Amino acid sequence: MLKSSLYQEEQYPSPMSQTWQEFKKSHVAFVGLCALIFFIVVILVGPFVTPYSPVEQNTDALLIPPAWAPNGGISYMLGTDALGRDVLTRVIYGSRVTFGISIFLVLMAMLVGVFIGAFAGMNRGVRSSFLNHLLDSTMAIPTLLIAIIIVAILGPGLVNSMWAITLALIPQFIHYTRDFVRAEMEKEYVIAARLDGASSMHIFIHSILPNMIEMLVVQGTLALSIAILDISALGFLSLGVQAPVAELGAMLSEGLDVAYIAPWSIAAPGAAIFLVIVSVNIVGDGLRSALRNRLRH
Amino acid sequence: MTRLVLDTLVKYFALVAVWFLAGCLEHSNANLRKSGIVYCSEGSPSTFNPQLDTSGTTVDASSHQLYDRLLEFDPQTSKIVPGLASSWKVSRDGLIYTFQLRKQVSFHTTPYHEPSRFFNANDVMFSINRWRDKNHPFHNISDAEYPYFFSLGLDSLIKDVVRINGYRVEIHLSKPDSSFLANLATDFAIILSEEYAENLLAQNTPQRLDEEPIGTGPFKFVKYQKDRHIRYARHEGYWQEKDVVQQLVYDITPSSSLRLAKLMTGECDVISLPAHSELDIIRERNNLVLDEKPGLNVGYWAFNTSKAPFDNPEVRRALAMAIDKTTILEAVYFGSAIKATGLIPPSSWAYQADLRDASYNPLMARELLEKNNIGSDFEMDIWAMPVERTYNPNALMMAELIQGYLEQVGITVNIVSFEWSNFRRRLQGGAHDSVLIGWSADNGDPDNFYRPLLSCAAIESGTNRAKWCNPLYDEVINEALTYDDVETRAALYQTANAIVADQMPLVPIAHAYRYQAFRNDVTNLDINPFGGIRFGGVKKLQ
Amino acid sequence: MTYYLLRRLNLLIFTLLVLCLASFYLAFLFPGDELTNLSGVRFSTESERLQSFEYYQFDQGAFLQFIRYLELLWQGEWGISFASNEPLLQEISTFLPASIELSAYALILSLLIGIPLGFIAGLNHNKLTDYTIFSVSLLGYSVPVFWLALLFIIVFALQLGWFPISGRLSLLYDIPHQTGFIILDILRSDLADKGEAIKDAMLHMLLPTLSISIVTSTIILRITRRSVIEVMSQEYIKAAYTRGLNHSQVIFRHGIRNAILPIMPQLALQFTTLLTNAMIVETIFSWPGIGNWLIQAIYQGDYPAIRAGMLAVAGLVVIFTVSIDIMHKLIDPKRLNRQRVKI
Repeated sequence: MLKSSLYQEEQYPSPMSQTWQEFKKSHVAFVGLCALIFFIVVILVGPFVTPYSPVEQNTDALLIPPAWAPNGGISYMLGTDALGRDVLTRVIYGSRVTFGISIFLVLMAMLVGVFIGAFAGMNRGVRSSFLNHLLDSTMAIPTLLIAIIIVAILGPGLVNSMWAITLALIPQFIHYTRDFVRAEMEKEYVIAARLDGASSMHIFIHSILPNMIEMLVVQGTLALSIAILDISALGFLSLGVQAPVAELGAMLSEGLDVAYIAPWSIAAPGAAIFLVIVSVNIVGDGLRSALRNRLRH
Repeated sequence: MTRLVLDTLVKYFALVAVWFLAGCLEHSNANLRKSGIVYCSEGSPSTFNPQLDTSGTTVDASSHQLYDRLLEFDPQTSKIVPGLASSWKVSRDGLIYTFQLRKQVSFHTTPYHEPSRFFNANDVMFSINRWRDKNHPFHNISDAEYPYFFSLGLDSLIKDVVRINGYRVEIHLSKPDSSFLANLATDFAIILSEEYAENLLAQNTPQRLDEEPIGTGPFKFVKYQKDRHIRYARHEGYWQEKDVVQQLVYDITPSSSLRLAKLMTGECDVISLPAHSELDIIRERNNLVLDEKPGLNVGYWAFNTSKAPFDNPEVRRALAMAIDKTTILEAVYFGSAIKATGLIPPSSWAYQADLRDASYNPLMARELLEKNNIGSDFEMDIWAMPVERTYNPNALMMAELIQGYLEQVGITVNIVSFEWSNFRRRLQGGAHDSVLIGWSADNGDPDNFYRPLLSCAAIESGTNRAKWCNPLYDEVINEALTYDDVETRAALYQTANAIVADQMPLVPIAHAYRYQAFRNDVTNLDINPFGGIRFGGVKKLQ
Repeated sequence: MTYYLLRRLNLLIFTLLVLCLASFYLAFLFPGDELTNLSGVRFSTESERLQSFEYYQFDQGAFLQFIRYLELLWQGEWGISFASNEPLLQEISTFLPASIELSAYALILSLLIGIPLGFIAGLNHNKLTDYTIFSVSLLGYSVPVFWLALLFIIVFALQLGWFPISGRLSLLYDIPHQTGFIILDILRSDLADKGEAIKDAMLHMLLPTLSISIVTSTIILRITRRSVIEVMSQEYIKAAYTRGLNHSQVIFRHGIRNAILPIMPQLALQFTTLLTNAMIVETIFSWPGIGNWLIQAIYQGDYPAIRAGMLAVAGLVVIFTVSIDIMHKLIDPKRLNRQRVKI
């Protein structure tokens, strides 16, 4: 603070820290970010603090209600499921699987998408090809539908559903990267670099990529919420993760059988999916409006 | 001005919402609901002819809805009452049964068959000869195996079926058998239409006999979509004076929780097989009825009497004394069963109410065991069946409980379980020390318990899990079949009970209840203790 | 313009061809005999297989095989299902309309909810109303549709007992299948009391429609809101104000039209999202739709059905998106490319 008042004219915050300033202004977005960090901490340290194993069955404690219900007990905070497994433990492990896999899938899709998109954006030959139109068409199709179709072809299973969702997520990264790269290629700083004789590769890594990070983060959060929804939907349809692995969507479909006598067995995993997606979306929204505000200034 | 737009919108939405709710909450399809019954069943029937398949699903979907039998069981008293045979007579030597058939009984008229005559002796001959006579043109249609009749040896018991006149039939037996009438009243002994069969044979599509059924029952077949639903309509000319609803629909719903949910919302009027864990929910709801009745079944713990030390009746008695049946009933059956003291459940006329039970007495058990040189180093296996059955919903849990009890008398128990078909095969081989299993009867005759469970012949056919053969016992139960009057037979079965209680080849544990859940506007729906559900006579209150 | 139309049609045909090729190739990818996977017939004798071999022209080269496959597709011979032994095209034409119907009603409902609320939020940009609607929409946008449907069932069907939870119509009505759209079928049937049946169908439809339209309404709300905010900051709106028009005149004469027109295709495209969500919700409400059918086919390893179902659903979505594109181009020729959804 002191420094900034002395040397005001030198204080040019980087675009990224400008965005961060804008982001912090929105309390909701900040709370969302805190929630998101909380979830990440939970999935990282969860296994060390849960008292039970997610697959351990306890036949003496079937369908125990949550702690606050009249017959609930403190030993099972969120109650137990039809096989006597602790719901809280399973939700934590389930979030780990659902959330963890989703992050991984988004990163994979981003990597592949950016690579192809950059290539398409920098090479004009590919520009007006059929491929672009095909890409546009696939973008209009919901990723989940693409994922269901891919799983239908590959067969149910965790690995297959991961492939399916990754493939379904790639087109949008290609699209945004291609558009971004194409727009940047017209800008003076890139032209200047090109005139200096920099190679395409060099231009992309040193000039365009740093400017793209923000866009990628925003698209990444968007894709993350889609990936979480999709992987839990596939789990729910028993097309993805198979029992007894704890996955939030699969837990929901397992809870379906006892939904009417033990509502907590579907309330807890559903609420976990919901809260994770809400916090991801809040952060995404916050980032987007922060970016928009920054560009307006 | 935004306020104006907003106002209009709010009003518009309120209107839409009110319209929707008004439409929704008004229950005005009362007429239609009254005219039909929806039954949520657990699976798709494999055929519409119960002669071919003994599974409960097939029986439920065909036996009592589409067909009649010569004789019927009264669901209240378990007595045999007239069906399509208005009266019957047994010759003195018990070898010839004469049936007088009911007149003016019509078969279903459907788009695929229009009967030209009433039911008569030809239909009886056809229905019995189809499974009895290996050269009958319909015998091998639909890859038929007729499991019920063959497992009881009815094909060799019946020597001949003779038509006396259009409405009188004689059945000749090769030996007297007082359970014969009961077998004719089971769900499987249905009467088919001979005329329809002839027509189909002429059209060269005989397999349609079992797929597009024609019978004399209260409902006629309309449509079947596998795994979706079955439709039946009222048989207008039904011979019995019964209220029959206009429509009967089976909504095939494999998930038991979904069946319960549909019962709650009123999409089903009746559901099959409510799960034990859900019974309390049904009891709590005012608009639902849970009917329970002791079933004709017994769950038991059988010792392999061909193996030492289980060939010793004192050891078997000691083991029986070491377990507390009351606790087992609570934990395994959630109290929805009655304690078994003998083979026969209370709903049968042969039930002996004063039969004494081996009381729970671990001290005496220990003494008896020591007397027979069973020390604390003794180990035994308990085989627990891996599947859920009415007579034993959780054999593994029961085995664990027994394990606990036997530990108190110094016996170490190993629990053994295999996959079901493997389990039965190994059981048949006799590798077990003891096994937790059970039996459900198909007809009301007590012989259906005594013979398959413990007779010498049943060791060979595989239903005698104790491998116990007692000539005296066999003599008693064979003698019982030669008498017709219930009193004499019951007295003989009491003798048999005494032999079993003394020898203890198996420990009877429980007779489990059977359940039926339906909405409270459904009336006259009784649990049929001998199997299939009956919708004839069931109606809806308004 | 003609050039544009031709290019789009070209793309459409090309995409459909790719889909057909993919579905043809699937028969070879799936486990088991490729001829069985194509025809759905499990051959018991060698001569049967040989007959089918010739029928599908498997004695020819791969290209001719594919041409023959296209020919058969065109003639409606999509093979038969392993599970039901029914012709697949017939199965699909019973199940697909049920899903389309569900999605169509849900789309109407979402537009009725989403657009007005989007306008209210957009016009009150940066005020409390906007803030509230936007935050609530974020919740609706994040809720997993299958969970929402379950919650609806527990509250409205099981606790309150207002709605049925399975199928499209009480089974006591036996409506013959004609169009596959239940309301139309009821109207065309010879049922005595059609009003009752339609009411019953509506009751069955309400919970599934509501659960899938909530997600979509929030998306539509956000698209509308963003568009309204953009339009209201345009110069011509300011110009309209300076011409002395009052607030409502500005909105009705300039705002609505300019805000809605450009986002029309985006709104219509939500149909595909709805269709996907409908496929999931169908399994919960035992709705006899294509999603339920396709998922059963996947469980049972019914390869001909998966092949045909994938082709039908993907084909429908592609045809739908391209025709929306073309229609938009016809209405608004100046716009060059479809805009990305901004929410």
